[in-house]
Amino acid sequence: MAVTAAGPIGPVGPRRPGLEAEAVLGKAYDVRLMGRLARYVVPHTRLLVAWGALMLVRTGFEIAQPLFVAYVLQHHIIGNSGRGVIEALPLDALAYIGLVIGQNLSSFFEQWLVQLAGQRTMHDLRIAIFDHVLAQRAAFFDRIPVGRLMTRMTNDIESLNEMFSQGAITIIGDVIKAVAIMVVLLASDIQLALVTFVTLPLLVVIVEYARRAMRTSFRQIRVRLAAMNGFAQEHLFGIRVVQLLGRGATAQREYNEINAGHRDAYLLQIRADAGMYALVEAIGYIAIGAVLWWASQHRLLPMAWMATVPAFAGLIPAAIGLVTRFNELIARFFEPIRDLSAKYAVMQGAMAASERIFQLLDTDELDGAVGDGDATKPDWDQPVPRKPDRSESAGPAVELAGVHFSYGAEPVLRGVDLRVPRGATIAVVGATGSGKSTVIKLLTRLYERDRGAIRIDGIDVRDIPLAALRRRVTVVSQDVILFAGTLEDNLTLGVPYTRDQIEAAVRRVGLDRALARRGAGIEAAVAERGANFSAGERQLVAFARALLRDPEILVLDEATAHVDPEAEELIERGVAELLKGRTTLVIAHRLSTIRNADLIIVLKKGQVIEQGKHDELVARGGDYAALERTFRRQTTSE
Amino acid sequence: MAGARSSLGYLKPYRRAVGAGVAMMVVTNLCALGVVSHLGQAIQAIKDSRAELMPHIVLLLIGFALATAVTRILSRVWIFNAARAAEYDLRSDLFGHLMTLSPGYYRDHPTGDVMSRLTNDVQTVRAMWGAGAVHLANAVTSFATVLTMMVLLDPVVAVLSIVPYPLIFITGQALSRRIYRTTREVQAELGGLSSRIQEDLGAIQVIKTYGLDQVRRRGFLAASQRLLDKNMAAAKVRVQLGPILNTLAPIGVAILILIGGRAVIHKEISVGYYTEFTALLARLVWPTLTLGFMLALVQRGRASWARLVELQAIRTDIPDGAGPALPASAQPAHVAVRDLTIRIGDRAIVDRVSFELEPGSITAIVGRTGSGKSTLVEALCRLIAVPPGAILLDGHDITAIPLASLRGQIGYAPQEAFLFSTTIADNVAMGYGGGTAIPAARARELERAGALAAAVDLSGEPRVNAAAVAAGLEKDLVVMPDGLATIVGERGITLSGGQRQRVALARALAAMPRLLVLDDSLSSVDAETEQLILGHLRAVMHGRTAVLISHRVAAIKDADQILVLDQGQIVERGSHEALLATGGLYSELYRTQLQTELGVTRKEAV
Ligand SMILES: Nc1ncnc2c1ncn2[C@@H]1O[C@H](COP(=O)(O)OP(=O)(O)OP(=O)(O)O)[C@@H](O)[C@H]1O
Ligand SMILES: Nc1ncnc2c1ncn2[C@@H]1O[C@H](COP(=O)(O)OP(=O)(O)OP(=O)(O)O)[C@@H](O)[C@H]1O
Ligand SMILES: [Mg+2]
Ligand SMILES: [Mg+2]
Repeated sequence: MAVTAAGPIGPVGPRRPGLEAEAVLGKAYDVRLMGRLARYVVPHTRLLVAWGALMLVRTGFEIAQPLFVAYVLQHHIIGNSGRGVIEALPLDALAYIGLVIGQNLSSFFEQWLVQLAGQRTMHDLRIAIFDHVLAQRAAFFDRIPVGRLMTRMTNDIESLNEMFSQGAITIIGDVIKAVAIMVVLLASDIQLALVTFVTLPLLVVIVEYARRAMRTSFRQIRVRLAAMNGFAQEHLFGIRVVQLLGRGATAQREYNEINAGHRDAYLLQIRADAGMYALVEAIGYIAIGAVLWWASQHRLLPMAWMATVPAFAGLIPAAIGLVTRFNELIARFFEPIRDLSAKYAVMQGAMAASERIFQLLDTDELDGAVGDGDATKPDWDQPVPRKPDRSESAGPAVELAGVHFSYGAEPVLRGVDLRVPRGATIAVVGATGSGKSTVIKLLTRLYERDRGAIRIDGIDVRDIPLAALRRRVTVVSQDVILFAGTLEDNLTLGVPYTRDQIEAAVRRVGLDRALARRGAGIEAAVAERGANFSAGERQLVAFARALLRDPEILVLDEATAHVDPEAEELIERGVAELLKGRTTLVIAHRLSTIRNADLIIVLKKGQVIEQGKHDELVARGGDYAALERTFRRQTTSE
Repeated sequence: MAGARSSLGYLKPYRRAVGAGVAMMVVTNLCALGVVSHLGQAIQAIKDSRAELMPHIVLLLIGFALATAVTRILSRVWIFNAARAAEYDLRSDLFGHLMTLSPGYYRDHPTGDVMSRLTNDVQTVRAMWGAGAVHLANAVTSFATVLTMMVLLDPVVAVLSIVPYPLIFITGQALSRRIYRTTREVQAELGGLSSRIQEDLGAIQVIKTYGLDQVRRRGFLAASQRLLDKNMAAAKVRVQLGPILNTLAPIGVAILILIGGRAVIHKEISVGYYTEFTALLARLVWPTLTLGFMLALVQRGRASWARLVELQAIRTDIPDGAGPALPASAQPAHVAVRDLTIRIGDRAIVDRVSFELEPGSITAIVGRTGSGKSTLVEALCRLIAVPPGAILLDGHDITAIPLASLRGQIGYAPQEAFLFSTTIADNVAMGYGGGTAIPAARARELERAGALAAAVDLSGEPRVNAAAVAAGLEKDLVVMPDGLATIVGERGITLSGGQRQRVALARALAAMPRLLVLDDSLSSVDAETEQLILGHLRAVMHGRTAVLISHRVAAIKDADQILVLDQGQIVERGSHEALLATGGLYSELYRTQLQTELGVTRKEAV
């Protein structure tokens, strides 16, 4: 397998998680790659069969042309009886044009079919990569730069597509053709054939050298292209900061370092390609020279020699047609070999690209599988009751028991216990970096806990299908991301809500007021990542879209951090009624949000150190009480 | 286009390599002719049973074959290397240009499409340069040699046999236009697909937690299908080219059969001539095909080039200041804003705003969500276009100050923290022009040389350390095994929200700027850390002019002046106490916070 022990996408050093370069792959076998690729081609077999058939037809028309010209010459121009037949000539000219049209018509469909097969394969492959990538767990995306994944899905696919579009896939046909010619050579005249084959070892050496050089080169190219794209992507994304810090020139210099690496990676490929192309061609000529020389010295049997070419074997060669046919012969004999070398580079490039693609498809960090939890598996085909009857269910709405977790070496959660009774509102407070958001990521299985149990309604989250789990738990996360489109798209996220539902949610969070001030409605256009909305407005949108989903468990991770106090109050009032009886988990840094919670949980360095109601905790005089004093002190003028 | 180099302009620095390459190509083709003619001689010799001629002929043949090889290698290496070098220049220019475009451009244009131009289109243009030049040289020499030989043999028949070529020219032109058009459509679609991919990958957390896979997949599927369709539409035109040209070219052979055949029968020309001609005409097939390849390559290249020119033609709406740089000064900055209005579309986001930032003073800007606070401070750094004369820094119009000089005076922590995927120390050091976003390739080289640690480890830097402490990062750093040398994921995704925000804050502080601008920089930190940072900030802001945007009373109440924005206008200004006393928007906004956090009623607060 191409997957190395160090990780599927190159070695993952603990020190450079975001930057680790894609390691150049070890030796992978083209046959295996082709085999894997074949799986995507197979669904389009019918196209390929039709293509193959047309190729034969086209070749037939093509070969028929010189034969026909020779026939006309022999029978109509020179004439069997020594006199030409002028009357036959117009028809001959027409027939010739017919052959030409036949050839080109089939050639058109032949090429079109191979393009269609190629494009469809690439489409399938694109979808396969997309599905595969989206199914990876969050940790995968922490590590792999977006630019690199984009390179796989666009540039590498394009490069693979060249194999089809530049006809390199016919390389197989070429090889067969070359072998067939060899067989015919052997069958016709062993001596002459052997003379021709003297050059074969040399050919093999050259092709093998070129293969290695090109592959090494193309592998480097793929890696550097991805690095370059990753770099560009990151800098375009953070263009504001780049400009703010005046890093434009520095960034260009740094970009050019990779750019130069990319350019230089091609050097070897260019040389290998030129060398192979030229030498194969020259060796071909030399082989013919050698054969002629041999024939002249040993046998002087031009006719027998001519007979070695299958197309002419059946013809009684007329001495006059000799030159004509010989030119044909050279072309026919060397076309496949020369084509082979021209297509070889494209082929090697495509192989290097498919290595990368399959390596990505081999990464197996899939989002949680179902059924590895500790509870018995319930029947998930049954619809989940949205608000299950209290008496029926086995436990609290959300329960964490002794949960341990680390992203890397350092433990982030160290035995977290937490119970959220159904319908209760729970607040989690704690210093920044204490692990609050991490708890939520574990609850929705963005990451998998290391130890302990996480249950919803007494059922281990690992026993709940991901889709069902994420339908039941809706998170308004710290980082709001909007999609390009309209505001409405962003609110509904593809679910057909009624206009009233949307408007109600918009009103509840006070987004309607913000929009009114902006002079826009929900049909307003949203730029990429919501860049044409203010930070607070974006948060309101995120809040509203969560409410629209009417979730069983609502999780708010600093959902109002960027919103003004007035709007915050408005939300609290607007949402209060909606939250009544709904299990809610709130993470907040502001007292106003926290104090009314049914239960407050204080998290410190990955452990729950206190829990209770506001008044209880203040009375206890622990960490929470200190926190509360901080709030008071802050607001009082000294 | 305005200022942009033409496509061939990029090849100009390498014209000698390209010229030499094309010349070599011509020599190659001539040598190939030499090979073929010697083959003919060899066959003749065999026919005439003159074996003694053979060694001589074969030796010459081998000589020509070797010459073909050598010259072909040289020409390909030269031409393709020149194309690579030009590609490097083009990429470098484009990237440099992209770095100058204003943030506004990137808001209105999907990054994925820009990326697609930078990668796919550049590659297509390079193919036009490299393979295009090779095919062109091939086509031209093949035509030239074949036609010369024909004319030498018999001008009349030669002319007759090239009769179809005007027709070929016309159809070639028509098809070219269609190739160009369809290719542009493909490239646009490819850009769209790239945008989708990049958007989805960047939003992966939302997609996962909201279970949007299917919705996004549907969109992707549709985009991919559209690309497939456009690609097929383009392919249809492209694959027509070869067959059509190849149908027209052999018309010459038909004419030859008709007229030449008659001439042979009438004994006007010899059979030898006739066969020679058939052979020569057959040789026109290959150059015609090459011509087709070249046309397709050039048209695709032109289509991509047009997209690049489009990009290069875009001028930033924030031109560099033409005046002199500000003199070095350690004094806090003085800023005057005079009747500043910023419009986006037909809405005034900042509306006739005037205020002054006295040197060494602290100004807080507050206001409702969407009231224009961020836009206003972006204007101070010229991240958004401002009219000349509206903002003065130390009495100089900021539109006249060179951008580097202007931004060098300002330490700005934007509302949305953006970190590079490098060490925390590097990220902080970038505030004062240190640090580097190490490209992966370079990191590898350095690693090999064992110089990586030395090259990137800025964690010992006192300036970085001091800034990290001031931003309250100390506590977090001790938990990280590598401390300041910890590498963060793209955009800082491997840090907690509050940590990310504070690294960005540290970056602004590390600049030790004359003007410090903090946009909601404490929104994601807990009260205790906030308190700690505010304590540090008081010391840091001493001797600097500062602007703070915040929704937290704690952060703003000590400011020398508070500006209250509403719908882009300053509706109130004054100190915390004064504003509370007035009982306007400010006291309205902060009533609840004061109530809950102080446990006081509004009356008491006032
Ligand atoms: N994807 C990640 N990879 C590695 N470490 C991470 C990742 N996400 C968070 N961490 C680390 O885990 C710790 C807890 O992070 P978490 O996001 O849970 O904090 P938090 O309590 O939500 O803080 P904040 O209030 O700042 O949002 C932090 O030290 C952070 O650096
Ligand atoms: N490119 C744009 N096109 C249209 N409107 C925009 C654009 N950028 C910003 N706006 C609008 O301008 C207004 C001011 O935005 P700004 O980001 O300055 O608000 P803000 O005061 O910083 O708000 P917040 O407190 O939420 O951060 C908002 O209503 C926003 O929607
Ligand atoms: Mg968090
Ligand atoms: Mg803002």
